[in-house]
Formats: sequence, C-alpha cells, structure tokens
Amino acid sequence: MKEIVKTNGLSKRYKDVLSVNSLDMNVKEGHIYGFLGPNGAGKSTTLKMLLDLVKPTAGEIDIFGKRLNSKTRIEILANIGSLIESPSYYGHLTAAENLRILQILLDVSPSNINEVLHIVRLDRQHSKRVSSYSLGMKQRLGLAGALLSFPKLLILDEPTNGLDPAGIQEMRELIRSLPEKYGMTVIVSSHLLSEIDQMADDIGIIANGKMMYQGPLNLLHETDNTKNLEEIFLNLTGKESSL
Amino acid sequence: MIKLLKCEYKKTRRKYILFTALLITIIQLCWALYGNYTEFSIKNGWMMFLYQLPLVNAIFMPLLSIIVSSRLCDMEHKGSMFRKILVIAEKGKIYDAKLIYGFSIIFFCNILNWCVTIIFGYIKGFSGDVPIILYLLYLLFTVVPTFAVYIFQHTISLLFKNQAITFFAGVIGTFCGLFSMFLPQIPILRKSFIWGYYGVLQFVGLFGWTKEERYLNAYFEIMDIDWIFFTILIAICIVMYVIGKKLFCGKEV
Repeated sequence: MKEIVKTNGLSKRYKDVLSVNSLDMNVKEGHIYGFLGPNGAGKSTTLKMLLDLVKPTAGEIDIFGKRLNSKTRIEILANIGSLIESPSYYGHLTAAENLRILQILLDVSPSNINEVLHIVRLDRQHSKRVSSYSLGMKQRLGLAGALLSFPKLLILDEPTNGLDPAGIQEMRELIRSLPEKYGMTVIVSSHLLSEIDQMADDIGIIANGKMMYQGPLNLLHETDNTKNLEEIFLNLTGKESSL
Repeated sequence: MIKLLKCEYKKTRRKYILFTALLITIIQLCWALYGNYTEFSIKNGWMMFLYQLPLVNAIFMPLLSIIVSSRLCDMEHKGSMFRKILVIAEKGKIYDAKLIYGFSIIFFCNILNWCVTIIFGYIKGFSGDVPIILYLLYLLFTVVPTFAVYIFQHTISLLFKNQAITFFAGVIGTFCGLFSMFLPQIPILRKSFIWGYYGVLQFVGLFGWTKEERYLNAYFEIMDIDWIFFTILIAICIVMYVIGKKLFCGKEV
C-alpha cells in the first residue's frame, strides 16, 4: 500500500533538548495511524513539523510523494486538515462565521459548511458565539474546520480532549468512518491508549523523541506476550525511560 | 490576497475596530480644533494648524496604531488561530493582509482628520485660501511616520501573544517621541525615534513669540523640509517591513 506520509531522520532540537530524535514515520494511505506516547514524548512537535508549523532541525518529510519545503508547502497543506492541541477559533464569531472564514481561505464550496456542521453535530448551535461554547463543542468545531475541505489527510492531536464519554464514543466512530466514507488517511494522537486500540490500523509509539515501535496494531498484539496495549505501551516507553 | 483581506473584514465583525478608530479620531479633532480663536488665529489659521497639528498627531496616531494593530492580532492569539491559518495560507501574505487592512483603517482616519481640519478652517473663516500644497505635504508627513509606527506595532502585535507588551512598547515609544519634540535643541533625539518624526517633518515654525509680548510680533514661517530624514524614514519603513515579515514567517506556533 502507498505511503502517504514518510519522514526520514526527522529531528527537532530546542536549545539543549532533543524533542524529536531521528524519527522515521510511515503512514499508509487510507489507514488510521495511532500516534502514542507519554506527555512530552514529542508527538505534538512531530505533528507540527508535518504541518510546517515547526521547522525540523534535521531530516526530511515527504507527504503525497512530495518533499515538504517552502515551495511545496501550500500545495501539500491544501490537502491536509488539522486539529492540533487545543481547537482554534474566533470566540467573538459564531461557528458558521468561523467556518466561513476557513471556507474562503480554502476556496471550497459554501455548502461544505452545513455538511461539516452536521457531521460534528453542531448544526443546531451554529449561530451561537463560540466563546459561549463548552470545550467539547469547541473541539467539535475544531474537527469541523479540519474536515471542511474533505482533505486527503487528517491530522488530529488529542481530538477527544474535553469530550464527555458519549462524545468520545461519537468522535471515535466518526474517525473510524472517515477512511471508508471519504477516502481519508488519519493520523491521530491520543494519550487514551484504549481509544487508539479501538480505532487505529497502524500504530507508532514514541518516547523521548524516539520511535519505539511502528507497524500494524494487530501485529503488536500478536508478537508481544502481554495482552493489552497499555501494558505494551508501558513496556516500550519504560524501556526508553530507563536507558 | 483579496481572499485574505475579505477574511480580515469578516473576522472584525463585532470587534468594532473601525468604530473605535473613528472615536479616537473624533476625540483628536475635538482636542486639536477646540480653542479660543483670536484675530491672530483667524488671520494665520492655516499656518497655525500646520504648526500645531504635528504635536497632536504625535500623541494620537501612535495610540490609534497600538489599538488597531493589537485588536487585529489579539483575536488570532486568543483562539490559537495562527495554528490554523498558517497551514492554509502563505505566512508572508498573512503578514501583508493584516498590515494592509489595519493601515487602511488608520489611513482612512488620517484622510478624515485632514478633510475635517480644512472644512473647519473654512467654517471659521481663516484668511485666504487653504495652502493646498502645504496641506498635502502635511498629510504626507503625517501618513509616513504613522506607517512606520504602524509597521512596528503590527509586527510586535503578531509576534507577542501578550498584548500588554505591545501596548507598553507603543506607549514608551510615544512618550519618547513626544518628549523629543520639546527638546528641539537636541535634534538627534527626535530623529532617533520613529515616533519623533512628526516633529522632524514639521515645516512651519512660530517666530517672534515672547512671554511678554506674546503674539504681538509673532509670525509663522515655512522652514526647510528635512528631505534627508524623510528619505531615512522611508528606508526605516522598508527595513522594519522586511525584518518584521521575516520574523513572522520564521515564527513557530
């Protein structure tokens, strides 16, 4: 299967701290790639580098078969939807007005606004100012913004933050349906291991900036003696921490 | 670029930025134009304005720049929107669109201010016709220093999340520029701060005024225009724009 994202020796140094260390990431087209790691492992930095929000200290990034650089960034990023860390929004505007701004910038059909509002179930609250939204609603709006252009690649950093259990379940089902319904590839990072376990096809486990495991999730379950992902995760990240 | 400007307009909905800018302009006009107009003032009204108004501009134009740039950039910082829009649009174009949109509000206020001043002069019955060439020069010497101040404010408002930093930097600059205008015996002082250029480019002087006789023998005279420092100011604008844009484009979010 074609690799839609491929990084080679990707590194990021902040002063004396090597946040991401020679990371080789391979994401297959049409798959859900779960990106796991403890706090401060370098997940968000890696995802930000994929979006050119942070410049790598070393290494290369190839997305859709093209090298990400200042010349190709707009062309590549036009096909990526993202939700990084906390959701982004203009609090003084309504959800529909927020999406309208993104719709103009993305140059997509205005009908996409209602469609994505319906997908994230915000169609009834679209005329309320976002500043009055709960964190969960803001998170849904963030996801609506990421889906607005129905991109080929969706990068979601902790997308279930602030959602209630029903919302988490809903979000999980939605993410799960995206490859089949819209042909999207999804990279999703989460600290909820069980969530990734239920969602991802492939998995990447990162600790102290290093990739500890990468491959199909089921293969990991088969090759490790331990049974659940939490134990495998602690086993892998614990190894790195003790080094 | 048109798309980005359209978005800037849509983003400012319910932010009342133009309304705030107009309010500041009205306060400025009230302060500048209110006063006791004596026979001397009516006779020399056109020149008197050219002498007095740069000082008022040195207070209000930086204030206007601080408020407009800060309100335009704060909404991006507050909702972490740079993380979103920097992925969609070119970083340099975002810097330019915000600069054009914000400065066009300031420029509109400048033009409004200029027009009201002239209309006020006619209503008050100032002697003679308005010296239009001198007033056009005055407009130029208001707009260019304001543009320099705006680029500075725009850049730091984009770079710093905490808008209190941009506010204090702007206020300190304004005070430096203002005080330098009261120290004409140290010309290098006012030339060292972009905020002082309203005074550097002032080309009408008041002569013959004494404490005892006051305006009895006073007269206004056109002085030599400091074209060298006007050119230097344009160069400063270009340098600040290039550096500001580079810093913004290199910013990691």
